[in-house]
Amino acid sequence: MEIQIRNRPSFANLLVRLVRGDRIVAESDAMASMSGAIRVTTRWSGGFWRAVLRKLFGGESLFINEFQTETQGDLVLTQPMPGDIECFDLRGGALFLQAGAFLACDPGIQLGISYAGIRSLIAREGLFRLRVSGQGRVWFGGYGGIITKELGGSEYIVDSGHLLGYEPTVSLHLGLAGGLVSSVLGGEGIVMKMRGPGRIYLQSRSIEGLAAWVNHHL
Amino acid sequence: MNVEILARPAASVAKLTLQQGEQVVCEVGAMIAMSAAFNVQTSARSKGGGGGLWSGVKRMMAGENFFLNEFTARAPEQTLIIGPGLCGDVIHHPMSGGSLIIQGSSWLASGPGITIDATFQGVGKALFSGESVFWVHCSGRGDVLLSSFGAIYEVDVDGSYVVDSGHIVAFEDTLGFELGKVGDSWLQSMLSGEGIVCHFKGRGKLYCQSHNPPSFGKLLGPMLRAR
Repeated sequence: MEIQIRNRPSFANLLVRLVRGDRIVAESDAMASMSGAIRVTTRWSGGFWRAVLRKLFGGESLFINEFQTETQGDLVLTQPMPGDIECFDLRGGALFLQAGAFLACDPGIQLGISYAGIRSLIAREGLFRLRVSGQGRVWFGGYGGIITKELGGSEYIVDSGHLLGYEPTVSLHLGLAGGLVSSVLGGEGIVMKMRGPGRIYLQSRSIEGLAAWVNHHL
Repeated sequence: MNVEILARPAASVAKLTLQQGEQVVCEVGAMIAMSAAFNVQTSARSKGGGGGLWSGVKRMMAGENFFLNEFTARAPEQTLIIGPGLCGDVIHHPMSGGSLIIQGSSWLASGPGITIDATFQGVGKALFSGESVFWVHCSGRGDVLLSSFGAIYEVDVDGSYVVDSGHIVAFEDTLGFELGKVGDSWLQSMLSGEGIVCHFKGRGKLYCQSHNPPSFGKLLGPMLRAR
């Protein structure tokens, strides 16, 4: 199976070349086009209860699609928003993804839901997050470009709406962006501090930011 | 006419260089900038193409403008920069006979040797594929410029090919498509989130767009306040 992320970073999409025996799993409605020789099967994402939890708390869909072929063919997978796509090799580990970021993964990957905590909720990042784990790769995307940051042992402040994903070794904390006054006046308010070690993925734009701008002009 | 596509794929525009007497027909509002020595004429018909009121009406039903702008160079080496309203890609499709069927709003410009008409694709297809009832039909010899939301990719179809509704930009008329399901049953097709897809058959060139405006709209729409 050969996978290429093309048209980066503005309109990234996956071109997947499948031969007999290859399989790839993708988020519901991710298929843009495919050869006639490709077969699709639809199933609960990670079993019935996990799927329901993912739908309720993770903002993801109930079903996922698995693509395979008896011969060979091409498949194009895409996301609803214009932006970049990244690949992460899990190597038996795990990655947390924010709602809507998941696009595709190798067939052996587990898609679960995990409790992110009250701090995540206050930082407007949701009470739950998607947990992908296992042997294989996961592809996820965002609105705008994707910024990768290795935290090491340091702390990093991330504005609400820009977080895409992070490794389980990263912990979330709350804080003020500056002093009390500048935090309120500066429009940053309460910020989320991410503490390493581990890698975090950020998106360079946020849909909420776009919606706020459009609302202002309506 | 020399065609150069700039700023691909996020904010593409076409830079056209025309020699004296050369002509190009563009979508109304597509002009971004141009040299001084152009004659611009707005009409419902193009010189090369079938014309008049009826083509204008059909173009409107295909999601295009009733009017067209015709640019004629009055001096050598005149440049014209054109682009679509949304972010997205522009591609150049040279035609030497045959026909190209273009999804509603994707036609951007074409040379004088191209006849622009509208073609009926069926009410059922329009209702369920998320496209218009009429599509733009280009035939003849010359250059055609297409625009999209998202990047445009080219597929050489030989046999069968499946495209999700909302991702078609244009296809050669040696191809035809039927609406259908993805997977074994309609229930599965609905559950898969793909819903109704377009099954292409035949041999020819197909242009798809990587992104789908309605999907982005569904994501953004709920966050917008009511007017």
